[in-house]
Amino acid sequence: MRRTVLSAMALASTAVLATTVPAFADDATPTPVPSTRPTEEAAPAPAEPSQATRTPSSAPAPARTPGQVAVVPEGAPDTGVAPAASRSGTGGMLIGTGAAALAASGAAVFVVRRRRVTGA
Amino acid sequence: MTPPSRRAFAAAALASLLVGCGGPAADRATNEGRSSRTPPPAAKANGERAAEALGRSVPARLLIPAIGVDTPVMGLGLASDGTMQVPPITPDDRAGWYRHSPTPGQVGPSVIIGHVTVGSYGDGVFRDLARLRRGDTVTARLENGAAAEFAVSSVRKVAKADFPADDVYGDVDRAELRLITCGGTRTGDGYLDNVIVFATMTSARGA
Repeated sequence: MRRTVLSAMALASTAVLATTVPAFADDATPTPVPSTRPTEEAAPAPAEPSQATRTPSSAPAPARTPGQVAVVPEGAPDTGVAPAASRSGTGGMLIGTGAAALAASGAAVFVVRRRRVTGA
Repeated sequence: MTPPSRRAFAAAALASLLVGCGGPAADRATNEGRSSRTPPPAAKANGERAAEALGRSVPARLLIPAIGVDTPVMGLGLASDGTMQVPPITPDDRAGWYRHSPTPGQVGPSVIIGHVTVGSYGDGVFRDLARLRRGDTVTARLENGAAAEFAVSSVRKVAKADFPADDVYGDVDRAELRLITCGGTRTGDGYLDNVIVFATMTSARGA
């Protein structure tokens, strides 16, 4: 009876590990590096007096005559591309720890069986 | 099964569970918590002291000693969709000045952005921007040899969906600086938040 319970416990812990690693791996899925947006050449800016006359788009900008920021960009700057390399490295580490945990469980089962066989 | 073997088995099972559930998640939670802060209250007199504005000259270099930043600055315009261009994803990541904003030292909000991470290359130039504190120094060196020194007045983390355009791009009556990067929770598409540093010029050195 106890043997059955302990075997079930070993299976349960293995199952937990098997589900834990994919949970992390899901988070660590590398994302494709989006192509950078720049369409204009990134070079030191010349003076741009003419742009002061361009009107900010869409947003109901309250009659802000050419402001100190001549053209207000849309939305928020997208200044973060997920670190794919480090994240896949994390996934590798998780797989390694998962494998180590499975090996430990296997070793425990082996010791138990051996003791049973030897009658210890 | 004997009691010792039972104990050994139970200990192994417990250890395997602990190994499987530990790891980077806790570290991530710590980092997220660290970057969340609210703008501090009223400014000190020395942090808000107005300095005489400089003439227009594009920034060539940006230095933020508190977080070890010393980077060249490139010019950025608008992308075809109307958003601000961002610096290219390269191993030698650098900051970018939005060329439709005043140059650092001119009256108005000069806008400089940088990546927090650059994909497989790892950390971006503004990786630690959220760690800046009120009073930290930011220096912009300009192409004409002049330099403008700023003091951080506040650091804000805001949802990208609620980007405070008026606070960032709105007119001001002195030379100010906005440093922007991404932050907060990371998803498959990037980050959900922006970290924005507001700084005021405290001194200027002419060309």
